[in-house]
Amino acid sequence: MLEKPSVIKRYRLHVGTIAWILHRATGLLLVLYLMLHIWVIHHVSQGPAGFNKVMKAVQSPLFLFLEIGLLGCVLYHAFNGLRIIIVEFSREGVEAHKQIFAAMMAVAVFLFLVGGVPMFIHFLHVLAG
Amino acid sequence: MKFPRTSGGFYAWLFQRLTGILLVILLIIHFAITHNLPKGGEVTYALVAPRLATATWKVFDLTFLVCALFHGLNGVWMVVQDYVHSETAQAWIFYALCTLGLVLLVLGAITVIPFKA
Repeated sequence: MLEKPSVIKRYRLHVGTIAWILHRATGLLLVLYLMLHIWVIHHVSQGPAGFNKVMKAVQSPLFLFLEIGLLGCVLYHAFNGLRIIIVEFSREGVEAHKQIFAAMMAVAVFLFLVGGVPMFIHFLHVLAG
Repeated sequence: MKFPRTSGGFYAWLFQRLTGILLVILLIIHFAITHNLPKGGEVTYALVAPRLATATWKVFDLTFLVCALFHGLNGVWMVVQDYVHSETAQAWIFYALCTLGLVLLVLGAITVIPFKA
């Protein structure tokens, strides 16, 4: 990263800047999740008892709720990532990058509702016992 | 198409994008089938084991594993390059990330490859 010139007091937060910060933040969270996920799924080698035991722990109401946030992180990172690729590979993409961001986010929000609403209903069912 | 001569950074950049596109597709399949979305529900051994025992899903999961680990750890490496300026520290972090990737790759592979329902 280049050093910030001293004449610049603070960077302005444009759409692209915010998108970049969120991409990094969600990316780092997803790496942490990936490591946890590989370790949890490794329990499948121990057969039904071992696997169901660990899955019970990670399908508690707290985890089910956090999982909705995970879906949000995945969808944001995925569709902002596709925006980055489009903007990098086409001249028109650079000019229309804000519209492309809006379109990608519309798809991400749609898929978040499609997946997130049933996850939330399942969370409520488990919470109610 | 002939690419100009570049440093290793070009391949890191290119494969970050290729694995990224692949991961979007693999994730949609993963959510639809493994997590039964948009219906949802509990994930149990009885649901997961019969699939994981098939060659098709082993190949799917191994592809998923390799792409996700490369994409994730290469992403961390990009962040590290932005904030860590010492070359010695960068080198240590690079080897640490490679080791972490290898450990997770082996852990994932020994989960998936020998699995029998």
